[in-house]
Formats: sequence, C-alpha cells, structure tokens
Amino acid sequence: MKLSYQIKKDWKRNRSLYFIMIPVLIFYILFHYKPMYGAIIAFKEYSPALGVTGSPWVGFANFTRFFKSVYFIRLIRNTILLSVYNLILGFPAPIILALLLNEVRNKKFKSITQTVTYLPHFISLIVVTGMLTDFSMTTGLFNDVITMFGGKSSPLLQDPKLYRSIYVLSSIWQEVGWGSIIYLSALAGVDSQLYEAAQIDGAGKWKQLIHVTLPAIAPVIVIMFILKMGSLMNMGYEKTILLYNPSTYETADIISSYIYRIGLLEQDWSYSTAIGLFNSAINFGLLLFTNRMSKRYSETSLW
Amino acid sequence: MKKRGVSLLLTAAMLAGTLAGCGSSKETTETSAATTAAATTAAAAETTAAGGGAAAAPVASVYPLSAGDQLQYWCELTSTVSSNYANLGETSFGKGWMERTGVDIQFLHPPAGQLKEQFSLILADGNLPDLMEYNWVTDYPGGPEKAIKDGVILPLNDIIDKYCPNLKAYLKENPDIDRMIKTDDGNYYSFPFIRGDAKLLNTIGLMLRADWLVDLGLEVPETMDDWHTVLTAFKEKKGAVAPYTFEYTNGQYLTSDPFAYAYGTNRSFYIGSDGKVHFGATEDGYKQFLTTMAQWYSEGLIDPDIATLKSDQVSAKMTNGVSGASMGQAGSRMGTWTAAAQASNPSYKLVAAPPPTLKKGEKAEFGQIENPYSGRASVAITTSCKDIERAAKLMDYAYGEEGHMYFNFGIEGESYTMVDGYPTYTDLIMKNPDGLPISQAMSGYIRGNYNGPFVQDARYLEQYYTLYEQKETPEVWGDSNGKAHLLPPITPTSDESKEFSTIMNEINTYRDEMTLKFMFGTESLDKFDDYVKNINNMGLDRALEIQNAALERYNSR
Repeated sequence: MKLSYQIKKDWKRNRSLYFIMIPVLIFYILFHYKPMYGAIIAFKEYSPALGVTGSPWVGFANFTRFFKSVYFIRLIRNTILLSVYNLILGFPAPIILALLLNEVRNKKFKSITQTVTYLPHFISLIVVTGMLTDFSMTTGLFNDVITMFGGKSSPLLQDPKLYRSIYVLSSIWQEVGWGSIIYLSALAGVDSQLYEAAQIDGAGKWKQLIHVTLPAIAPVIVIMFILKMGSLMNMGYEKTILLYNPSTYETADIISSYIYRIGLLEQDWSYSTAIGLFNSAINFGLLLFTNRMSKRYSETSLW
Repeated sequence: MKKRGVSLLLTAAMLAGTLAGCGSSKETTETSAATTAAATTAAAAETTAAGGGAAAAPVASVYPLSAGDQLQYWCELTSTVSSNYANLGETSFGKGWMERTGVDIQFLHPPAGQLKEQFSLILADGNLPDLMEYNWVTDYPGGPEKAIKDGVILPLNDIIDKYCPNLKAYLKENPDIDRMIKTDDGNYYSFPFIRGDAKLLNTIGLMLRADWLVDLGLEVPETMDDWHTVLTAFKEKKGAVAPYTFEYTNGQYLTSDPFAYAYGTNRSFYIGSDGKVHFGATEDGYKQFLTTMAQWYSEGLIDPDIATLKSDQVSAKMTNGVSGASMGQAGSRMGTWTAAAQASNPSYKLVAAPPPTLKKGEKAEFGQIENPYSGRASVAITTSCKDIERAAKLMDYAYGEEGHMYFNFGIEGESYTMVDGYPTYTDLIMKNPDGLPISQAMSGYIRGNYNGPFVQDARYLEQYYTLYEQKETPEVWGDSNGKAHLLPPITPTSDESKEFSTIMNEINTYRDEMTLKFMFGTESLDKFDDYVKNINNMGLDRALEIQNAALERYNSR
C-alpha cells in the first residue's frame, strides 16, 4: 500500500525526470542486456548457419576445453600479473600527479604541464604501439638512449622479461594526465577553511596533505579503485595484439588476445564466448569482493 | 553508478554481444530451415531433370543472356581495386562483364580486412547474396561439405552438367584440377580460381643484391654454406647491419621458408617420400635448420629485430642498404624495391636465388610451390539464389574462350591488342596516362592480376614482370622437387575438423614461440627433444591421423 503510494507520488513529482531517463534505459536494454542473450552460445556448438537457437547444446564442454588447455595457467597468470602491475603502478600515478599539480602556484606552468600530460591520451593506440615498436628496435630511440649510457643495444620487444614493463609504463605515460582530471576536480572542491584551520593548528605542508587533502578526496579514490577492480581481468586485446609477437607470448599472451586469435581468426565463437564469460564472472566476483571490503572499512561503496 | 557496476558483468562477453546483436535468432532459424528445405527440393528437381536428359551434353549458352533478375555477388575488393574504385561494378571490368553476359549484378563488398567477420554476420543473418566469393576450403569451419550440409550453398554437380558447358569441358581436360575442386563425397561446390600454368605457382623465393655480389666477386649462392659466406661478406664488406631480413609477421613467408626447405622440412605439414603426411616442425631437419638459424642470428647475419618486422620496415632496409638479402614475391617485393631504390642508386639490382641445398650441385628436393587450386576466391551459389540457371551461366562465362580472354586481358583494342597471336597489354595498362602503377591499372580492366572465379593465364605474368630478373624467377625458384611434397587441398571431415583445429591451434602457438626462442638462443637447442615431446603430448599423432585419412580420401576421389 505504502509503496504504491510512494511510487505514485514520486511519479507525479518527477515525471519529467523519468522521461529524460528513457533513452538511457533503452540504450542499456539494447546494448547491454539484450546481448547477454547471445552468451548462451558458450554452452552450445554454435554454427552461424544454424543460428543461436538452432545450434546444438554441449553443456560445459567449451569451458572444460579451456580449463584443460595447456595455456590456461599461463593466460590467467599473465592476465592477472599485467593487471596487477597496471593497478599498483598505474592507479596511484594520476593521484600523485594531481596532488603535485595542486601544489603548483605558477598558473602558466600548471596549465602547460596539464596539457602536455593529457595529450598522449588522444594519440591513437595504433600510433602509440607503432612508435613503441620502432623505438624498441635495435636501431630505435630507446636503444640509442641505452647505448648513450654505455648499455648494449638489443631488440627490446623480443625479450619476454621486458614486455610487461614496456606495456605498463607506456600505459601510464598515455593515461596519467587524463586520469588526474577527476582528482584535480575533487581537489578543487576541498574547503580552503580546512587548510587555514590546519595551519593554525601548526600543520606543515606534509601534515596538511595527510590530514586534510587525502581524507577529502578519499571517497573519489575509493570509488575509482572499486571500478578499476571490477575490470581487473578485463584487459583489452588491442594493445596486446599490436605489441606482442611469438617470442613474447610467454609473458604477453592474455585471455583477451587468446580469445581474439581463437575466436575471431579461427572462427571458434562458442569457445571464445565461453572464455569471455568465464573472464566476466571473475570480474564480477572481484567487483563484489572489493565493494564489500570497501563498505566494511571505509563506508564508501557502489551500492 | 549501480547500473554501471552491474553492466560490467557481461559487457566483456563482447563476442556474444556482437553475434546476438545482429538479428533475432528466431528469424534466423526459420529462414535457414526454409532455405534448407528449398535446397532439398531444388536439388531433387535438378536430379530428375538431369535424369531425364540422361547423357545429353549441356547446351552452350548464348551471351548476352535474355533479361532477368539482378543477381547479388559478394566478394572482397582487393587493394589494387579499392585504391581507385569503391565497387567492382564501377570498374571497366565489372561493367563489361555485366554487358557481355547480359546479367545485371549488384556487387557487395565487406570492409577491407573484415572478410571473415562479415561472412559470419551474413550467415547469422540468414539472408544470403546469390553468389559468394570466399575460400570455402579453409575459411568455412568444417569445410565445403559442411557448408552444403548446413544449407548455406548448393551442390553444383547437376547444375554444372546442365548449364556450364565451358567449366565442364575444362574439368574434363584437366582431371587433376577436377579432383581438387570436389569434396571427398564428390560434390562440386564452387566456381574455382585456378592458376592455369606452372609458371604461376612459384611465387615466393630468395633474392639478394646482385650489384653487391659483383662488387665482392661472389656468385649467386646455391648452398647453405654459400649463403653463410655471402651474408658474412655483406655484413663485413658492405656494412649491412642486418644482412638477411624478411617480413616475419607475414605467415605466408614463414610457411615457405627456403632455408627450412634446404634441410628437407618446413614448419607445417608436407608429404614425405613415403607418401604420408608429416609435420615438419618436430623432425630432425627442423632442428638442423634451427641450429643454423641460431648460429646466423648470433653472428648478426639475420636481422636482430626480425620478429617485429612489418613490410614497410623490410622495404626500407632492403632499399637503403641496411639489408642485402630477403624473401618475397617477384612483383610486390623485388619489382617495387628495385624501382624505389634505383631512384637514388642506379646500380641497385636484385637477383633471385635458387632454393638452397646442403651439397653443391644437388637439385633441391623441397621448394616453395602453390597448388593450382587453393580454394581462394571461389564462388559458390547460395541456397538463397532464386535464379540458379542465370547464376550458373553467368559464372560459366569466364571458363570459355571469350571469357578467359576477358578476365585475363580485358577489352581487345582497349586494354590489349593481339600482336602475332599474343595478347599484349596496351600502354593504357603498361604506361598508364593517369600515372597508375601497372597493378592498379590492370585491376580496373581485368581480374587476371589477382584472383577470382576463372583460369589465370601465364601471359599476364610475363608482361606484369618487366625486369629480366623478375621474369626468370619462376624458373629459378621453381628448380626443386617441391611439387612432390606439397599437400593438396585436403579437408578433414566435418566431425574431425573441430578436433583438428583445436589440436593445431595449441601446437602452432607453441611452435611459433619456441622457434623464435631457439633462434634467438634464449632456449638451448638441447631442449629440442623436450619441445618435440610437448608437441606430441598436445595430440600431434591424432592430427596426423586426421590429415592422413583426409589425404587418403583425397587420393581416392
């Protein structure tokens, strides 16, 4: 009774808001919920000629095939390691940059630095990886620098040990400026009275950072962290397939690049959907886990 | 925020998404069921009709055909066409083909580089074009027989008997080809692309700087030891930093590596002297090949960046003197590089080297060669086609005398003239007034310079190769017994094909990885036995069993 009354009241008051929401709702239904139906081909032997409903069921055969594959452990390990490195090194980087920029008093220097760090975000991935490939060759820029400091030039992208560093560092270079925007806007919202109060209490710059700035932007950091965790295993295949070659498969081949090779190039759709579904399930689990942890310890959470 | 969180769940199942997104599946099944039914009745009708006519030979079609419905023709637009035209129907070739056959064709093309993806989408949608040009042998999961069983394409046996006198006559004269273009069950399924001359089969080989050889007083290398001497001299005396380089990321080159052939092996399947299918990458010859490559690599004779090289980087190195030897095609590599380099260095010259051997004076046992029919660019009539007779007659045109000349040389008096009985391309092609390269000028008028449903003529190649060094490549590169070891276009049964590809996917990934590691020396060749053992554990025996059974079925076609 009470609920229906509430709904009615809410509807009356916010009718226009609900109308505004309709396009978004349609978008999600069409592009995010309807496609989920296609995920059932993970449990089928899909043949385009027979269609999704017409293809025969095979149960968990596609999943067991993946679990039994000789590459299963390696793919999981590479995906997790690369993600974790990306998270450990890549997550704090924009926060630190934002904090540093926040302390800069020279307006001109600040805006130049910001622009310079944003720019790489707008370079197409193909160009970035093309540059990395060229720079990493024995005659490339990176090797010129190495030899300048007395090192020995070597084909860097053919060394499995260096692959992760190149991947992670280039990602940070490309995204650090862009990622710092949200923190900069959070920092702009911190009440300046708090700083004044802290100064009166005798806090130096460092103490102000620890006790005023960080607590103020903590909710943003936590939300960003949870979102990042939710896509931890969700490494895109584009950068990997542009950067790797058989000699670096050992550290470079990740779940999504494997899906690309098997699914799109070999047309094994059911198998690759099964792997993708497995991957998403892990992601979802991670998201739930982080959210719960965050709720318990910091009282900030997605829901 | 909440919505975004939940949506993360399955947005990653992107493949599933794209596939389901393209049409409600209920419709798809209904149409495919309907088309299968239609196919069966059509096929039955054909049989009775053919039965009635008994041994009657097909009547020659009179072109142009009388007016009728427009036909949809789906094919990839090759890059030499797409650089000047958006649609095959806009080319002189396309217009003339329609005019001569009297068939109005709507050409449909997938976006560049998305042939397979688009093919899958069209299939899932169920509404097929009348004619589809595709590699039904390698790119339809399960092969052509499966495509017929799935109700995608029609078996052509009765159709060819009734409507295609030209193709029928050609196949009767060429029983070898006839065997290649059938399935194991004896079904014809496509109007094939056939390389009609032995000259057209040796397309890839070794080449090196002839002007450097002259400077150094060296001969064109014949044995592996010769090669070692030449490459070392290039490095030490000519300052080549990376004496031997090639486009390693192009799989086509890897499967026809002449240095592996020298050791009687290659990285994939071949037919051994026992007549059985072998897998080269686990044999002793492959170990010897890797030993040599590892030695060369450590001596700096092979490009240190080899694994990441793409074609533009190789072109740069070959034309600016960083490298002196490479592997590739006579047209797109040797010809292009020579033309580019001679602009600044008139003495620049490349020469083809024969398939290397281990002992001097020996004839090479292995060498690169292609099958006359590889499956590529072959046209099938789909089950959606309403006017089968018209479609069949349109396709049959290319296999007759007139069509053959049209597909290979274009329009007489415009793109070619007969000089002493030899079809000679005019200056419109050879010295295009708009400044187009020969390959692009050709693509406006003919299909002879790339592929399609017709028989390719060697006289095209004789003119396309303008340099003497290019013209001699078929003979130099073809000087081996490679044909005896070449796997014909065999197909696993539709039941086995899934198992086969599962096994081979794993093996190929591992082989590619280890091959490079052995070559770079990051993995010692003492580990070769472990490598072989691992590949065997991945099910190589089963894969060979499937391949040998397929070969037997092929031989008894």
